Amino acid sequence: MNQTPVVQFQHAMKRIGKRTIVNDLSFDIQAGEVFGFLGPNGAGKTTTIRMMVGLIKISQGDILIKGHSISKDFNKAIRNVGAIVENPDLYKYLTGYQNLKHYARMVPGVTKARIEEIVGIVGLRDRIHDKVKTYSLGMRQRLGIAQALLHRPSLLILDEPTNGLDPAGIHELRNYLKRLAHEESVAVFVSSHLLSEMELMCDRVGVLQNGKLVRIQSIQDFVHDGGSSLVCVTVESSQVEQAKRLIATLKKEILPIRQPGQLLIPLNKDEIPTVNKLLMQAGIQIYSIQVQEQTLEDKFLELTEERK
Amino acid sequence: MIGLVANESMKIYSRKLTWILLLLLFAITIGSSILGTINNTNATDWRAETTQLVHQYEDRLKITELSPTLRTDAENKLKIAKYRLENDFPAPSNNPWSALLTFSGLIEMVIVFAIVIAADIVAGEYTAGTMKLLLIRPHNRAKILFSKYIAVSLFAIVMLALLAVCGYATNALFYGLGDIHTTDLFLNQQGQVVQLNVLMQGIKMYGLSLFPIMSYVTLAFAISTVLRNSALAIGISLFIMIVGNSMIEATAKMEWLKYLPFANSDMSLYIFHLPARPEMTLNFSITVLLVYIVALILLSWNVFKKRDVSI
Repeated sequence: MNQTPVVQFQHAMKRIGKRTIVNDLSFDIQAGEVFGFLGPNGAGKTTTIRMMVGLIKISQGDILIKGHSISKDFNKAIRNVGAIVENPDLYKYLTGYQNLKHYARMVPGVTKARIEEIVGIVGLRDRIHDKVKTYSLGMRQRLGIAQALLHRPSLLILDEPTNGLDPAGIHELRNYLKRLAHEESVAVFVSSHLLSEMELMCDRVGVLQNGKLVRIQSIQDFVHDGGSSLVCVTVESSQVEQAKRLIATLKKEILPIRQPGQLLIPLNKDEIPTVNKLLMQAGIQIYSIQVQEQTLEDKFLELTEERK
Repeated sequence: MIGLVANESMKIYSRKLTWILLLLLFAITIGSSILGTINNTNATDWRAETTQLVHQYEDRLKITELSPTLRTDAENKLKIAKYRLENDFPAPSNNPWSALLTFSGLIEMVIVFAIVIAADIVAGEYTAGTMKLLLIRPHNRAKILFSKYIAVSLFAIVMLALLAVCGYATNALFYGLGDIHTTDLFLNQQGQVVQLNVLMQGIKMYGLSLFPIMSYVTLAFAISTVLRNSALAIGISLFIMIVGNSMIEATAKMEWLKYLPFANSDMSLYIFHLPARPEMTLNFSITVLLVYIVALILLSWNVFKKRDVSI
């Protein structure tokens, strides 16, 4: 990880009039990682993406892609980028193939064979010679991904990429993006509001709120932040009181019970065996011990709520 | 750059609208050529007929409230008719070259169709959201913009060529291929009657019409780029074109109007010696139009390169 990052945000800021849309973003994205960009609507996600690809000017600071400034050295920087910004808006009156040919002509070195290859990868071979206006949203999304990958970019930027894809398509895309990052060392930058999706797809997430980056960490740390998680222990209901007393000796708080026989205890992971042993030795019948994983969604809501 | 122009051309010719326009152009050109041949009968006694024409023009000149353009037109025609009688020079027999000179009005149609395409070529990409994906390629914005401008200019030239070729072909069906050495009488810039090659005059007229065509294309293109609204670009351009045609008359009375593009945008006026003001010359009109074209291109480029693309 001591190579230059694919993307470097250097105090990037966007101001429109007096309003600051994106404020002082500074972080790096490395080759080979899938980076998730989270944030509620209006947080400035799309503005950030538009700055990254040079569609809008950066008011202050800079964004470097493979060391080239997007504002000062646009051509060199953008050559390494493939992107879908917001919707996969393609030319509806052209066929899928004509669309790809169109973008292929704009970058040197994209051969006919490469177009064929990418059509196969996104699974559009049967319909590629049909007009885009006949495509479903999912197919447009696939074509959008195809045009973004055509020139083998080092950075792939996708705005809400799973929009309109069916579950099988989402699964396929997720695996493909992971493979692209982990095997071909592409940096993948994904923005999404589908948190469960991000959890399965991303290696690292950044949370943007009101134009500021409020949190950036690996997905595991993000979800398991704080160490303790809720553990739900189900025991024989007649033995609940006894179990409670035992757990109280460990100086652990017990949360209100939802169902007979259930005990809800905030525990660190390494304390679970201790509790288990204690209950077993007392002859309490344990039916199950479940760790209630906090999802990215819970975390996200918690994080964005508390800052409002 | 060639790739970019090829892209823009592919987009123009892949649209149904383009083919409807081309088909219309084709149909209208053939239709008006046929109408032209029906109205045209070969004179049996050209002397008697020309004498009759002389009387007709003299009568017209007696009308006091005749507009300046119509008056000049009648004076010109009278001059040529008298010259024919005095020098025993009959009008050339019907031929496709002379016929092509008579439908200079169809060039206006090329302008209207070119406006429709030019008005959409930039604004349409904003409306469809495709501008985003177009601009995130390793080309600077000037190249993207000018590739569009070149593509739409080429389209206008294609339409003009189609007009000339279709018009010639239809007339050739009626009059035969025609002798390329056919000559006829015209008035030069000093108002003297001269004998000129009809084909060369035709080439001059269609060639020169590229200046007004490009002026309107540039205007529609600039509005399209600045306002990002194709309907508005078509509307404003057509409005200016219609108002402009009526401005030619007004220019005779108000001198400053000659610096506006309107009175300079009909090149056939110079072929038929009908300048809006006597001191206006072909070179003057071309200069005025070029100044407007350059100014509009600079405006489009300045707006386009700076704009934040957020739709």
